[in-house]
Amino acid sequence: MLLRGCRRRLALPRAPRPGHRRAGSEVGAAAAPRYEVVVIGGGHAGTEAAAAAARGGARTLLLTHKISTIGEMSCNPSFGGIGKGHLMREVDALDGLCGRVCDRSGVHYKVLNRCKGPAVWGLRAQIDRGLYRANMQKEILNTPLLTVHEASVEDLLLTEPEPDHPGKCQVTGVVLGNGSTVHAGSVILTTGTFLRGMVLIGLETHPAGRLGDQPAVGLAQTLEKLGFAVGRLKTGTPPRLAKDTIDFSGLQERVADNPPVPFSFLSEAVWIKPEDQLLCYLTHTTLKAQEIICDNLHLNNHVRETTRGPRYCPSLESKVLRFPNRQHQVWLEPEGLESNVIYPQGVSMTLPPELQEQVIRSIPGLEKAKILQPGYGVQYDFLDPRQLTPSLESRLVQRLFFAGQINGTTGYEEAAAQGVIAGINACLRVHGKPPFIVSRTEGYIGVLIDDLTTLGTSEPYRMFTSRVEFRMSLRPDNADARLTHRGFEEAGCVSQQRYEQAVKMRAALEGGIATLKSLQFSISKWSQLVPEVPISSSRRLPLSAFDVLRYPEANMELLARAVPEPLGKLAQWRQLAERLKIEAAYEWCVENQQQEIEEVRRDEALRLPEDLDYFAIDASLSSEVREKLDSNRPQTIGALSRIPGITPAAIINLLRFVKTNHQKAEGLKALPQTGKYLPGKMYSEKAASQRQISAKFSEEKQEYLC
Amino acid sequence: MVGLGIPAPPLSHMGGVDGGPPHPCTPSPCCLPCPRCAQRLCSAAWGDTIFAVSSGHGRCGVAVIRTSGPGSRGALQSLTGRPALPPPRVLALRRIRDPATGEPLDRGLVVWFQGPQSFTGEDCAELHVHGGPAVVSGVLRALGSLPGLRPAEPGEFTRRAFRRGKLDLTAAEGLGDLIRAETEAQRRQALRQMEGELGRLYQRWSNTLTQALAHLEAYIDFSEDDNVEEEVLSQVDATVRALEEEVGSHLQDGRRGELLRGGVRAVIAGPPNVGKSSLLNLLCQRPAAIVSPVAGTTRDVVEVALNVGGYPLVLSDTAGLRDATDPVEQEGVSRARDRLREADLVLAVLDAAAVPTEPAGLGAALGSLQPPTTTPCILVLNKADLLKGNGGSLRAACAQGHPLPPVTLLSCKTGEGLDRLLALLARELARLCGDPLSGSPSLTQSRHSLHLRQCAAALARYSRERRSDLGLAAERLRVARRHLGSITGHVSTEDVLDIIFRDFCVGK
Repeated sequence: MLLRGCRRRLALPRAPRPGHRRAGSEVGAAAAPRYEVVVIGGGHAGTEAAAAAARGGARTLLLTHKISTIGEMSCNPSFGGIGKGHLMREVDALDGLCGRVCDRSGVHYKVLNRCKGPAVWGLRAQIDRGLYRANMQKEILNTPLLTVHEASVEDLLLTEPEPDHPGKCQVTGVVLGNGSTVHAGSVILTTGTFLRGMVLIGLETHPAGRLGDQPAVGLAQTLEKLGFAVGRLKTGTPPRLAKDTIDFSGLQERVADNPPVPFSFLSEAVWIKPEDQLLCYLTHTTLKAQEIICDNLHLNNHVRETTRGPRYCPSLESKVLRFPNRQHQVWLEPEGLESNVIYPQGVSMTLPPELQEQVIRSIPGLEKAKILQPGYGVQYDFLDPRQLTPSLESRLVQRLFFAGQINGTTGYEEAAAQGVIAGINACLRVHGKPPFIVSRTEGYIGVLIDDLTTLGTSEPYRMFTSRVEFRMSLRPDNADARLTHRGFEEAGCVSQQRYEQAVKMRAALEGGIATLKSLQFSISKWSQLVPEVPISSSRRLPLSAFDVLRYPEANMELLARAVPEPLGKLAQWRQLAERLKIEAAYEWCVENQQQEIEEVRRDEALRLPEDLDYFAIDASLSSEVREKLDSNRPQTIGALSRIPGITPAAIINLLRFVKTNHQKAEGLKALPQTGKYLPGKMYSEKAASQRQISAKFSEEKQEYLC
Repeated sequence: MVGLGIPAPPLSHMGGVDGGPPHPCTPSPCCLPCPRCAQRLCSAAWGDTIFAVSSGHGRCGVAVIRTSGPGSRGALQSLTGRPALPPPRVLALRRIRDPATGEPLDRGLVVWFQGPQSFTGEDCAELHVHGGPAVVSGVLRALGSLPGLRPAEPGEFTRRAFRRGKLDLTAAEGLGDLIRAETEAQRRQALRQMEGELGRLYQRWSNTLTQALAHLEAYIDFSEDDNVEEEVLSQVDATVRALEEEVGSHLQDGRRGELLRGGVRAVIAGPPNVGKSSLLNLLCQRPAAIVSPVAGTTRDVVEVALNVGGYPLVLSDTAGLRDATDPVEQEGVSRARDRLREADLVLAVLDAAAVPTEPAGLGAALGSLQPPTTTPCILVLNKADLLKGNGGSLRAACAQGHPLPPVTLLSCKTGEGLDRLLALLARELARLCGDPLSGSPSLTQSRHSLHLRQCAAALARYSRERRSDLGLAAERLRVARRHLGSITGHVSTEDVLDIIFRDFCVGK
């Protein structure tokens, strides 16, 4: 079955390039269709990847087992949260889908951490599963240049590597379940938990990527044969409950925000009326649950198995084993407006179904709850992400990209973020353009991908704000200023409309800050104008409106009331007013982080060759350091310095070696441009001088060390 | 390139005696965490500038202190007190002062390298100063108090040079080994320090702060969804407050470590003609001061450097304190009183034969000499050889001690009581300097104190910002943690996450 991206008829296959050879399959060469980018998997990474590649101008094919499960939320019925909301804002800033779709599918919007400062606000929403799926499918099936095809993928087509890139071969297409082939300029694998996926309930196990869906085994074997290092992870999901069997009367309610805050920079408001939003409820486990779990550990393969478990507690079993004798929170979350399903967040478990029922019924409010679908565990293969470059292309196989859970992450948002980056880069690769890298000084996406590709992971990687060094600069409010311009100019993945909106907002912010800074009065005058603000009298004279706005008690509305001209119109634009307030409050801290950010970026501009044999090179390095270098394969000195155990001496020795031995090597490959827009100076009046600094260092950016 | 090297061994002879000018080694009075300085430092809008001793460690004739970065120009201007820089790459003789206090630190050669014509390609300055640890630490401290300047990390100068394409291949040869050796020496030195009481203290702070930070991060990342209770936050607040106080009072202690470099300043004071100059000569075993039976012989301050019990001591003899009429003697008395105010330790000398024998009377006699201060004091009752019958009761008064400072009887003439005086002196010195082996921990490194000061300043900011913006407050703890990490070793995000997942039940 072939569903075509509606509006445009797709170009038919071109003749195979000279020297092209099929590696995997015997199937008819003549009629094999050809796409620029082929994406395998229709989950949160796959949809974003396919849509991003298509937005970038690549003829793209999305291959999925079932079109009907595109946009499926396999686990929790919510998007966003602390750290994850940041990722969504960044995905949206690159014109990704999940934020927009969530603004059309949510049933309960809530910004977490409201009282802890705007840098750590966590945009979050309960999402109607059905609506999300439908809206996502509508989006995907209507994306120009994007074709969707229902098929399983069994193998990859491979050929000789391009000489000027590392890698032992390159991918040229895929072999489908029916034996036919599809040619591709780049292939993105986003198979989630489906690589040798195994579902576990109690002592039962059966192969599946998700309950009721077949795993991908052939592909797992192909990757293994190619020499990819594969690890095994496990995760789980709670039982689903029938809403009409729950007694909510004694439980604590969580009310949604009014007005709800949209995820997307493009959304003025979300689709649902504030008063129509659903409630969430909080209850707690009792010691009875602990008793049942501890008495039945022998019936629980998932928990006992040696597959390396995460440090956090993915299941109720791990919670009661590691933190015994206490109550654990259970959030009862609606799955949709019309849905009778409740998702009990916090009680993932893999006990046999009848025992799950006992545990659930020991929880206040759930005494009579009916389980609609038992909780289960999933074990699956993931690829060591250190085998990827920061553009998410594999080092082993050229033009093969990986995104999502297959790289060892957990969470929809983490998957979506990688999907966008893989999609953009697969497209750029086909078009012969330099990769698009988000630096860790520019976004949570950068932190996520740098952590994965530099350090790898031994547990499902989840985004936390605590992982982010420049948390004060990388905020949900300014994701567009950080990424939209780059996405438009370098990746071509951002629509004209979004770009223009970002340009307009940026100009308004710059203008607003300039206006606020130029409006200066004495302290006594300010005290008269805004008596609500306790301006400290030790300040130097005079004080600008921007300085006053910095006080927690001040906001644009207050200032505009005091000085209607020229502040009145700044305060009228609500988003602008909020963002000006945040800029004022954080200016000091952001400027402060600027030095460190520049330091990191300078190290990131010093690139290491990708094909170094760290065991053979004649540099003064210990064998321990060599091993680390070989397994982590850092791309830049910045990444190198973040690997634990790498000494300053090792860094200098490596620099020296590279400089000495690769001096004459050609291949001044254009460098990925990162951080063109430094967060700290995004809007400040120093923007001009900042550009100067960038220009000064741009020379160094070209300094490819080989 | 970094760090200050091993704490200087106690010097048995200091400058001032053997010809050279005395090193103005008094540390800057600003040992407290100075929020003003920290604020200036943090709000600097320029790129950062690094500095370090680049001429090796330990005792040497001349030490070279190097800076690199955009702040080099300002640093050179501040320290030389002149807006005009010498021509680039030309040595110039300058007086070097602490810009905060104006206090002279040394006279030395300075060189200005305007980028890109410098070792690192950035603006650089070099200060060639006398190699004494007091001078070096004074200059480093002054540099560290300037906005935008910070001590260099290991290998940082080289990396900057690399970035700017400044290292040609011959220069790069062997550099790695050099840095390896340097970091190895630092590592050994750091290990030695970390093994001691001070190391344990810093390590404990480091653990405390890391845990507080982890708990705060947990509260930010997980309190809304998981079981991270509000009380975690009040515990973090309490921990930070306690740590802030502890670091603060430790920094006030800082003088002890600094004293070890410069020597304790002891002043001999007393009425005229009680034998103060004789005491000086007795202690330094040579006739450094003129003695005569005439009251008011000593007019100016006479200073000698000594080693008592392994501790450096700068001993000053002063004019006898009395209402003098002779203008020269008046000036001498006024100088004596100045010295007395600045002293770390006072040796108050009285005539044993002329003092009351009961403790109360002794106290009154001492009080007439020196207004009650907190400066430690040893009361020396000289001319014990002249005591006759009432010697017994005076001896008893000396032994009783109490409201009095340590008292000893001495005869400069016969040397009787010298051993007891030296023992008393050594005890006081040990207390003042902090025993490096068994005594209380003391600051021995300017680098450490710099980081500690900035750590304390960040902790103070945490407490101030905690109510308005938790994200900002957490940033302060991260900064504090980083400064402490520069002493004890940095802590990675994973270490913080380890604590979070160990202490809190965080779900999927």
